[in-house]
Amino acid sequence: MSAADYALARPGPSKAWWGMAMFVASEAALFSMMIGSYFLLRFKNVHWPPHGIPEPKLVVPLVLLGVILTTSAPMQLAVAAGRSGRLGRTRILLVLALVVQAGYFAMQVHEYAGDLSRFQPSQHAYASIYYTLLGADHAHVAVGLLFDLWLLAKLARGFTGYRLRALAAIAFYWHAVNVITLAVTLTILSAKL
Amino acid sequence: MWAERPGVLGWLTTTDHKRIGLLYFWTTLVFFGAGGVEALLLRAQLAEPNSTVLGPNTYDQLFSMHGLTMIFWFIIPMTTGAFGNYLIPLMIGARDLAFPRLNALSFWLFLGSGLLVYTGLFAGAGPNAGWFDYVPLASRLYDPGRNIEFYALGLLFNGMASTITAANFIVTIFKLRAPGMSFNRIPLFCFAFLAASFGLLFALPSLSVDLIFLFLDRNLGMHFFDPAHGGSTLLWQHLFWFFGHPEVYILIVPAFGIATEIIPAFTQRKMIAFPLVAIAELLVVFIGFGVWAHHMFSDGIPAVTLVFFAGATAMVIIPSTIQVFAWTSTLFTGRPRFSTPLLFIVGFILFFVIGGLTGVMFVAIPFDQQVTDTYFVVAHFHYIIFGAAVFPIFGGMYYWFPKVTGRMYFERPGQISFWIIFLGTNLLFFPMHIVGLLGMPRRVYTYPGAMGWTAYNLAESIGGAITLLGILLLFGNLVVSYRRGPRAPADPWHGPTLEWSIPSPPPEFNFAVTPHVSSAYPNWDDADREADRRRLAEGVGVLDHGHEQVITTLADGEPAEIVRMPHSSPWPILLALAVSGAFAVLVIEKYGVAAVFGVLALLTLVGWHWKEEES
Repeated sequence: MSAADYALARPGPSKAWWGMAMFVASEAALFSMMIGSYFLLRFKNVHWPPHGIPEPKLVVPLVLLGVILTTSAPMQLAVAAGRSGRLGRTRILLVLALVVQAGYFAMQVHEYAGDLSRFQPSQHAYASIYYTLLGADHAHVAVGLLFDLWLLAKLARGFTGYRLRALAAIAFYWHAVNVITLAVTLTILSAKL
Repeated sequence: MWAERPGVLGWLTTTDHKRIGLLYFWTTLVFFGAGGVEALLLRAQLAEPNSTVLGPNTYDQLFSMHGLTMIFWFIIPMTTGAFGNYLIPLMIGARDLAFPRLNALSFWLFLGSGLLVYTGLFAGAGPNAGWFDYVPLASRLYDPGRNIEFYALGLLFNGMASTITAANFIVTIFKLRAPGMSFNRIPLFCFAFLAASFGLLFALPSLSVDLIFLFLDRNLGMHFFDPAHGGSTLLWQHLFWFFGHPEVYILIVPAFGIATEIIPAFTQRKMIAFPLVAIAELLVVFIGFGVWAHHMFSDGIPAVTLVFFAGATAMVIIPSTIQVFAWTSTLFTGRPRFSTPLLFIVGFILFFVIGGLTGVMFVAIPFDQQVTDTYFVVAHFHYIIFGAAVFPIFGGMYYWFPKVTGRMYFERPGQISFWIIFLGTNLLFFPMHIVGLLGMPRRVYTYPGAMGWTAYNLAESIGGAITLLGILLLFGNLVVSYRRGPRAPADPWHGPTLEWSIPSPPPEFNFAVTPHVSSAYPNWDDADREADRRRLAEGVGVLDHGHEQVITTLADGEPAEIVRMPHSSPWPILLALAVSGAFAVLVIEKYGVAAVFGVLALLTLVGWHWKEEES
């Protein structure tokens, strides 16, 4: 190995982090287009939501939004704990985040099902974009939960460089999902204005 | 250091960028052939009035598939998948792309998507509402078959492959450059592919959203595009063209990149205005995101909006002109040797200027409204897409042929093939301007004899046949050269970039010793290359412990760490199979089966990440 022949600068973010950054960039574009579509449809319609479809709830979505946003903290703390090699602390923080995120997801699925019992996506363009936008957001949370579970399974057998890079990338993913959720929730709530 | 696994299994599990580039190359050539046959059938039908070679239903599917194939299954995968894959790592002194397995995944997804839409065509249910597939024509009410499902799912699927490649290229160009290759020393070819990759990354999501809405409208009874229930038909067009116009530049920018390699090699002169050209390549794509509504000038959008988009469109002239002047002034001030690759680039410049000038005409809103949906538009974009995007691909095939195969092509038949294709293309597309101005609408399957269009259409069809002859000669030349051509040296052209510093064809590991770079034309820096050879002889800086790769810093290209890259892997093709299965059953609305395939895809992902890559 002649790696020693290279005068190495301090390594920046890993390849995995850059890969996640690209993924997040395209996801951000995806949600931007959906939110743009929401407002295009909104300004085509005089009544938004149309007659016969209830306005979106205000309190529950805002509380849930607050809950999911707080999970960025344990995720980032887990990254820091991982960097300093504290395995137990990393795992506890990850489990903490996972529990809150899973609870959030369960509540959102419950709300979604409740909405579906009151109005259908085939009723009006408002309902179509409402369910599609929220559904896309929830799907991203579900993917994040799978990431968490996979990472915890990996961390059951200790740290490796690979797992630490995965941890940083997954934390980054969650921050992005949280920002997306913020944008989506505010978009949906704008129907009350 | 390492060898690729031989045999079919080796190719199925390969993660080597050169092998994947070749897989892309051969596959896109097959699709090019299919798209070409479709075009010839269309021209056969249109050669004379009231013709009955094709019926209207078949014609609709063929012209839709011709457009889709040439854009999504030929030009994009040929430029990014084949040229970019093979050449970017070689030019920046890397041993592979940043994510080799994702690269393999991208190819297999691409292949699956192509097979899916062609299954539709052969089943008599090919996409039939044109490549931009406007609603309400494409809605379930007016297009009740499965045709549009093949369109929507095929393109969604194809977009995944392109997104993966784009992300891979960006990270590769950002992080895997040879030590010393700071941002201002990236070859212009790679700047062009960087621009195209950013374009794909940010434009494709718009198409994806559009296709998902379309699928939901058609299959779950939603109303995104249904004005009777609060939807908007213009929503389809906005989302489509927000993707569609950047897409046009994504097609053309790699051609700019190829031109900026071939021109310096055959004039033995560095590109004039290097930084301006690099910025112009990026700027074309950037401005391309702000011009989409110029495709919608006849939609009845408010005039203020139209004027804004006309103005934004006019801005594209600036970076385009910068490049035209940079190419031509490099040619004029150097000592050009008009070999086949350079001839194709000269043809490209001519086509780009002509097609660009008709493009400028569309900025005039009343003119655009007059010629919308006529053959004038068809003439314009074929000058750009065939003349300006495909000619450099042909030139690039000749230029890098010795590098990829280790053989020289035959020069005289090469030059003859250029002249035949050049003349054929002009005869094929120039009369379209005239019939367009005479009022011939595009996308009609036949026309009456009394319109005065007959002679022009016959000329176009003859031009199509001549173009076919030239292309056959081109590929015939390459096939014969591959078998009987003289052996090629490492650097037959005295080329400017790093791919010419290694043997032809390149070894599996590309570079035995990681090159150190001090300019954007590193193969012309003899002292640097001499230093590389000395380090190799002394064994300094040789990464000989398997698939090792230097990661460098983003701006300055200083070595930051050394990572080990994955070798061959069965997981990409398995994952692509699962995803292909999911898309195939979605066409026939089997959501449960699609979910099963989704779970299979998740399982392959677990397998993919089972063995950890070391660092």
